[in-house]
Amino acid sequence: MSGYLKPLPVPSPETEPFWRAAHAHHLSLPKCGDCAMVRFPPSGHCPACGGTAHEWVDLSGAGKVFSFVVYHRLYHKGWEGELPYVVAVIELAEGPRILSTLTGIAPGDVVCDMAVQVLFDDVTQDVSLPKFAPA
Amino acid sequence: MTALAPNRSLRDKYAIVGTGVSRLGKVPGVGAPSLIEEAIYHALDDAGLKTSDVDGLLVRGPDDIYTFHQVIGQRLGIDAAFSTTLANGGASQILSVILGVMAIDAGLASVVVCGYGRDAWSRTHANKEVQMRGATRAAEMESGEFGPEFGLFGAAAMHAFGARRHMFEFGTTREQFGAITLAFREYANRNPAAQMGHKRLTMEDYLAARMIVEPFCLLDCSLRSDAAGAVIVTSTERARDLRRKPVLIKGFATHNNISGWFEGDNMIRTAAGPSSGRAYAMAGLGPQDIDCAQIYDCFTSMVLTQLEDYGFCEKGAGGAFVSSGALKLDGELPTNTSGGQLSEAHAEGMLQVVEGARQLQGIYHPERQVPGAETCIVSGHGGNTVCHSTLILGSAT
Repeated sequence: MSGYLKPLPVPSPETEPFWRAAHAHHLSLPKCGDCAMVRFPPSGHCPACGGTAHEWVDLSGAGKVFSFVVYHRLYHKGWEGELPYVVAVIELAEGPRILSTLTGIAPGDVVCDMAVQVLFDDVTQDVSLPKFAPA
Repeated sequence: MTALAPNRSLRDKYAIVGTGVSRLGKVPGVGAPSLIEEAIYHALDDAGLKTSDVDGLLVRGPDDIYTFHQVIGQRLGIDAAFSTTLANGGASQILSVILGVMAIDAGLASVVVCGYGRDAWSRTHANKEVQMRGATRAAEMESGEFGPEFGLFGAAAMHAFGARRHMFEFGTTREQFGAITLAFREYANRNPAAQMGHKRLTMEDYLAARMIVEPFCLLDCSLRSDAAGAVIVTSTERARDLRRKPVLIKGFATHNNISGWFEGDNMIRTAAGPSSGRAYAMAGLGPQDIDCAQIYDCFTSMVLTQLEDYGFCEKGAGGAFVSSGALKLDGELPTNTSGGQLSEAHAEGMLQVVEGARQLQGIYHPERQVPGAETCIVSGHGGNTVCHSTLILGSAT
């Protein structure tokens, strides 16, 4: 899809599986093979137990809004005409907190701790962004 | 983490012996290195020292200038026994004082210049072309993941997450953030050098200001300034031969929640808690012993959160504390007595180290001087929101 003006994620070798899974509409993160902690961001060693064994697992996509902000000032021309918009810290049901945005809700209706569910926005042919909507 | 025992033998052993500030606010055509030069020469004059006396240089400037200490060393014409440029954002400036003390204590330096300078106003406003680009250019240069693709740009949003969560958990209000803005502006109105010194503000003005990243409006956000500050650190023994009565370094510490701003309670119980705890322990003081404070005010909510974390009120009671008038000159804890970064000028906390020292020298006109101030606590915060440093200063008897 040409004409997409927002920045696209620039994956690292360690985050590439996240974006590959997102493209297939799965929310996926590494799960420790020793202590079972699901971690974000991806890392070689588990931050809880130091274990190196891990596998990428598909998550439920359920979570809640830990905190959120509403942009009223334009920082990037990709959002021209889309102000105000919400950026949120989502606490996933499996534990980790990740950054995303909310759709399907007016900024004024968002509250902390509200339940949300992932959905995937195919912003280009190659990239799908995990966003969240009220559950 | 092992319980730490800050070294109390360092208490009062080292001192700030000179302070300097550059021209502040809108200083076009000068640049950060020249501004910090200005501040350093003022600080050396204040101390009665020369560049040839300096053997330690801990200075920082815009992050895009590589090895800033070398740039400044060249301008001062000195080699240094000890020099570097730190990378803890707004927590770096107090950390430079801390590192200076540690270097002197280790016998690796004797007179250390600590400073910071920036030209943030000129970079975004100096001419029409820059001004037009300014609004969006920085964001468009950001790249990465788990941020820009979702529209996350700038420091305001990261802090606004904390502000929002604080409001949610403790019922903190925008009016309470506004009380911080107004308290600091009143001080700026008494500070002829302050960037916003000539502009008075009311709560109506605050509530009518345009929103930037909600819950922050424009008046929750610190200034873009051309500004530099510097202090000279040496031993209290050496200080006796110098021009000024020394300002004693009573305690210091740092803490960095480098596991991340989004982890646990980090955004509402910040690294300021453990940092101040260890600084108090070194100083042998508690919050009840502090006469005034200079609190890193990148955004209003961070002041409120740090005041709680520093023990001036209970966690969650910061809103009521700041609304009580506590921060004003006749209040319980006069805070950011120069106007702070919200109203004086923004030099990433360096001007607040200077202001803390000057309050204890008692140099100001009564309308700005905290009467009888003997102790001041200064905070530094930054490094992508997770780094903190604390300095407790005392007047020499």
